[in-house]
Amino acid sequence: MAVKNSENLSVRKSLKSSSSRAAWIAVFLSSVALLLLPVLLRLDGKQHAEWLQFLGRFHPLAVHIPIGLILLIPVLEIAGRSRPALREAAGFVLPIACAACLGSLVLGYALAYGSGETGTTVTQHMWGGIALCVGVMLCLMVRPAWSAEERRGLYPSMLAVVLIALFWTAHLGGAITHGESYLTALMPAPLKRWFSLGGAGKPSARAGSFYAQHVDPIFDANCVSCHGPSKIQGGLRLDSYDVLMKGGKDGPVVVAGNLAKSVLLERITLPMNHPHFMPAEGRPPLRPEQIAWIRAWIEQGASSSAVSLRGVVVANPVADPPPEPVGDYSALMPEIQQMQQGQGAKLVAVSAKPSDGLILNTVDAAATFNDAELARFKKFALYIVEADLARTGVTDASFDSLSQFAHLRTLHLEGTAITGVGLAKLTKLHQLNYLNLSETKVDSAAVAPLRSMAQLHHLYLFDTPANPVPKADDAEPAVKAVLSKEEK
Amino acid sequence: MKQHPLCTDCEPNGSMLDLPVPDVVKQEWLALETRRRFLGRSGKVLGWAALASLFAESALIGGADSKGLSSAPGRDAMKLPHFAPKAKRAIYLFMSGGPPQIDLLDHKPNLAALYNKDIPDSVRGNQQLTGMTAGQAHFPIAPSHWAFKQYGQTGTWVSDLLPYTGRMVDDLTIIKSTNTDAINHEPAIMLMNTGNMNAGKPCLGAWLAYGLGSMNDNLPTFIVLQTKTNPKENNQPVSSRLWSSGFLSSKYAGVGLRSGGDPVLYLADPNGVDREVRRNMLDAVEEINRQTLADVGDPETNARIAQYEMAYRMQASVPELTDLSKEPQSTWDLYGPDAKEPGTFAYNCLMARRMAERGVRFTQVYKRGWDVHDNVTGLLPILCQETDRACYALITDLKRRGLLDDTLVVWSGEFGRTVYSQGGLSAENYGRDHHPRCFTTWMAGGGVRPGITYGETDEYSYNVVKDPVHVRDFNASILHCLGIDHNKFTFEFQGLDQKLTGPTPASIVPGILV
Repeated sequence: MAVKNSENLSVRKSLKSSSSRAAWIAVFLSSVALLLLPVLLRLDGKQHAEWLQFLGRFHPLAVHIPIGLILLIPVLEIAGRSRPALREAAGFVLPIACAACLGSLVLGYALAYGSGETGTTVTQHMWGGIALCVGVMLCLMVRPAWSAEERRGLYPSMLAVVLIALFWTAHLGGAITHGESYLTALMPAPLKRWFSLGGAGKPSARAGSFYAQHVDPIFDANCVSCHGPSKIQGGLRLDSYDVLMKGGKDGPVVVAGNLAKSVLLERITLPMNHPHFMPAEGRPPLRPEQIAWIRAWIEQGASSSAVSLRGVVVANPVADPPPEPVGDYSALMPEIQQMQQGQGAKLVAVSAKPSDGLILNTVDAAATFNDAELARFKKFALYIVEADLARTGVTDASFDSLSQFAHLRTLHLEGTAITGVGLAKLTKLHQLNYLNLSETKVDSAAVAPLRSMAQLHHLYLFDTPANPVPKADDAEPAVKAVLSKEEK
Repeated sequence: MKQHPLCTDCEPNGSMLDLPVPDVVKQEWLALETRRRFLGRSGKVLGWAALASLFAESALIGGADSKGLSSAPGRDAMKLPHFAPKAKRAIYLFMSGGPPQIDLLDHKPNLAALYNKDIPDSVRGNQQLTGMTAGQAHFPIAPSHWAFKQYGQTGTWVSDLLPYTGRMVDDLTIIKSTNTDAINHEPAIMLMNTGNMNAGKPCLGAWLAYGLGSMNDNLPTFIVLQTKTNPKENNQPVSSRLWSSGFLSSKYAGVGLRSGGDPVLYLADPNGVDREVRRNMLDAVEEINRQTLADVGDPETNARIAQYEMAYRMQASVPELTDLSKEPQSTWDLYGPDAKEPGTFAYNCLMARRMAERGVRFTQVYKRGWDVHDNVTGLLPILCQETDRACYALITDLKRRGLLDDTLVVWSGEFGRTVYSQGGLSAENYGRDHHPRCFTTWMAGGGVRPGITYGETDEYSYNVVKDPVHVRDFNASILHCLGIDHNKFTFEFQGLDQKLTGPTPASIVPGILV
């Protein structure tokens, strides 16, 4: 057996020596061709032949083949230490991976070139793909030497480089299809803080302007995934004021004061089934009032600094941030259910989705619920998003317990004996956006610390020393007059 | 004797299973039959009670991994709310009779020039009219008697009849394009409330009680408040069909509080009967009811047991609910003096706010008298005076107390009224007939976008020209605010997956929703 193997090896060696030069030349030439591709066939942001796009759309499907195969190679190589047959299999998989890689690259290029995609992410993804192909080809070339136990370090390090390139390229590809923030959007807040992922500022429009507050967010939410820095369809970017006004490959899309010439407005107001309707590809259309804002904004000069527009009222501009999902509380379910059968306070799910959290409902037990009772809920603290303690017996001492309810968004304390001492402890609650202190004894000094809570959009202080009720509502207006007129 | 294949009712030993009915119906019937048989055989004492507790237990264990949390029946199976709701509760101000949109919120300034001209046939089309105006030779346009003014930051046009509504337009979501299929009161009001013109379907409140369960064990989940009628007004009847639970268990039906005297008749214990005696009596009655249940197996007996228990708890909770002595002066300043008199619309609005505070899921306030077939100029000022300030007070009160964030308030009638005059048109007066093709409604609070007007009608306020909202879409949107997908919220009955919006496709109205 061993003799036979070594014979095989020597045969292969001789074969290799005769053909290796030709192979090296082939690899060299194809690498040069790949590296020159972006220069010869520049991604110019224009759409090209439809058959190119048709083929290109198979790229997101096809890429998974080389990904799977390349990931398989190190596994086979390592497992091959104890089972030589697997190492042989690796030698078989590698050229297939190489071919699949080249195939996907061609499809990917057809997609980017055909549909006119540009942008930094697209460019980086392209170079990643090219580097990956070259790397896999080099792996293919240096592997025979490695399996003949010459130059032992070269192939493994090449393979490692290929794997890194693979991860980077695949990640960029994901970012193009799903958007930059796809992976991190639902990341738990502590992790986010760890990675310090914050929103980057947008320099080109004045903060607080109508554009920055109302127009730009519409583009961000609906358009920028295709018309942004990472993917520039039709040469148009909408991610900041300057690039928006610059327009796309066919010229400006927003002409200040001229609705008819503003192609952007035309595109978003076409019938939904029109081929040029935006947002494209079956994405939901803009809301009627969003279109109205954009129209009014263009009509009144498309300014980057105007704070308000004539005839446009934006009701409720304060948007609450999306809630953070809570963790898995299924282990506590028996206890939660037992509580529901009983008389006292209850925990109720916000919705069928467990990550929406729990509501602490005390309305049945308001007479008996107090600080000690509240302390009993500490073990559920991380899962409670709303605590309704209105008209219960809780006091200022409850703030200690409440400050541990890290996911608390809504807190009802109206009609309790609270005076506000220690209210500052609630500033720890980063999610809290609703706090009702109506009909309590809190005064302005007690609520002052709450001002630091930027997300606390709904603070109610009705009938408290902090916000006394104004004297008699300015009685009945015109009704009486109308009546008397009609009665006579 | 050979039977005709289509004759199914005279087979001597035929079973229901041989009938040419869908399999689902057969299964439903089989399930009923086996349950009755099983109950018939099981012992009299423990029977259903033991079984029920077993079922409850297993349902809860199932809930442990499926995370269905509420004790409300049906919830485990359907997993409600489907998504995090914007509103936890709703208050529905029902303007029975059909308020005339043209005189209140649907401003048509160009009509003044068309005074007494006939409405063009092209506008009316081939619409079938009610018997009350179908015989009229002319359909003279009656412009609104009242001037309109713009209010709020939104500049919304509101009739001079509604000065208080004018003050809160920035909080309202006004829908001018609501439309319905029915032209007469009973079918229209049934359609509005139950999604079907025929009686027998559960109403919105019953669906909510069934699907979302109670937030307060001491008060009904669904309460109905009727406003005292004003004899000057043309009052159409309002009946308990409108708050019926239909094919759902009767424990989900609305509980009506009376508009005068005791809110719930015979709720207070008579002299000489104390709470303990009452408890003993109820325990004994429950024992008997459980025996009946074991013998007959009718789940409605369970509902009856639950209702007795609820009534017992309401003996304590209702007096507290209706005791307004602790309301601060600011309340009376806001709602006005009418609110002190039980049964007025203002009083009911105040009660609705108190119920919202106490965790009542759904409160429906009925105000009758909007059926102004004639004497519009005489009746509308009275109707508006009764309701305008109270509506404003309710919204303002909920808002200042922080309750409007998670309470949905709905204001609607069952249809609108015609632009043309019913009967004679004079400079002083006119009448308006029923009009199903468009009417104006509003919502406010959790889940809807404040300060917008949705939908448009033509210059006669006759046809919807933009963004129509059918009753089905209206109801689907209400359910959406409460975290319910109307297509998934079904109850199997008579072999059909019944739902509030019925089998005709309906959709939420994204333009009015947050």
